[in-house]
Amino acid sequence: MRLDLSSKLALVLLLWLCAFLLDWSINLILITLLILVRYLLPGYRPQSARASKSFNKFLFYGGTIVFLFAGINALFLRGGDVVLTIATLDFHEEGLMFGIRTAVRLLLLSISILLFFASTPLRDFIRFLQQKGLPPQLVLVLLLTLHFLDQLPARIHQVFVAQEARGAPVRAGIFSRSQALFSVVSPLVLSSIIESIDRGTALEVRGFLHKPVPMPAAAHEQRSRNLLTAAVILLSVAIIIYSVLRWLLV
Amino acid sequence: MKRSIRQRIADELTGAALPFVAFCIALNLTVGQITALLKIPLYLDSIGTVLAAVLVGPWSAVICGSFANILASAFGNPSMMFFIPVVIVIGAFTGYLARRGWFKRWYLVAIGGVLQGVLAAIVSAPISAYLFSGVMLSGTDFLVLYFRAMGNSLLDSVFYQGLTSDPADKLITYLLVFFLVRGLPKRLLGQLRGASNIQQGQAAA
Repeated sequence: MRLDLSSKLALVLLLWLCAFLLDWSINLILITLLILVRYLLPGYRPQSARASKSFNKFLFYGGTIVFLFAGINALFLRGGDVVLTIATLDFHEEGLMFGIRTAVRLLLLSISILLFFASTPLRDFIRFLQQKGLPPQLVLVLLLTLHFLDQLPARIHQVFVAQEARGAPVRAGIFSRSQALFSVVSPLVLSSIIESIDRGTALEVRGFLHKPVPMPAAAHEQRSRNLLTAAVILLSVAIIIYSVLRWLLV
Repeated sequence: MKRSIRQRIADELTGAALPFVAFCIALNLTVGQITALLKIPLYLDSIGTVLAAVLVGPWSAVICGSFANILASAFGNPSMMFFIPVVIVIGAFTGYLARRGWFKRWYLVAIGGVLQGVLAAIVSAPISAYLFSGVMLSGTDFLVLYFRAMGNSLLDSVFYQGLTSDPADKLITYLLVFFLVRGLPKRLLGQLRGASNIQQGQAAA
């Protein structure tokens, strides 16, 4: 099943609502589902090996920090019963529950965004924004950013090596290294301004600043009414009503 | 006649400014690589936003910060999406200071940097506290926990944690940008509309 970007964005918003309005145990189920969805739904598969690696890295890193955070909260925020004692260390219920609730919410928020971007090529996302009325200047800014992001890491490395060869204190003490920061950033900014002048002139001469940016059509364009988006929005409204009612009745 | 926000953005993003703002966004996202290479314990993740605010204008800085946060979310740091209000404040405030001539004197830049840091801490504290309960999945989480264990409320703890890091980081960012733009050739600076925000002598192309 292919999902269009409207539906995917609506799902992200729904998951944000769930993160704030529903119980942590439901959110934990949603996190598990999201991780499974990544493998089961083609529309949510990472669009590149890099995206997949980034997603896995976040899961590992986030999971570790969450585990540590819950444990440390249980140790330091003393309230409620002692749920576990290791050597002389007491883990308290209140801190543990605070840690788990917070961690699950944060993971759900983060994974929903990460899954969206991991499974959506940025150029498709920019095209979607353009279709929704993003001005051509901003579309160009985003596309040029992707160009600079491709170029900058290599350029930074080049400048760093060049400055090191010239004797800049890039490996000396912290104060010397801080001074070397200036000698690395300065050539980058200078070269970027020169490049910007050239590119700016080229864009203006070709009239690109005042017309939609030509972009290749998406392979899976869906222009028909989107029932899934409507269903997700309805579900979101239902969750809000449920939460308000629960708040009023309890 | 009052111009719309769209019109103001279009006015700022012309000529060399447009690719330069794109570079500033990319710089925000890759500056971590520079600090990692030099092993400096600084974020400097708003250096591009401050550069855009000074050399182009406040609207460009707001766009720069917002897009950088959206892209940072896409590249594996999803919580950045929720901090877009903070970068909007950083961009707008820096752009305002630059237009008022604060980037013409180093001591005004230093004061502005500290003020910016405090402002960033104030704006980010409620987001961090109420959306994430102070957890940002980074080393600073332990500082928040320390302040909480000292008996402070969650909001206060997050705010104190922000105060320990943000003013210093923004002060260094502001000073770095100040000395960077002062070192740029006048001929090049003249191509960007914010050139008049710097020294008078630098502004004339």
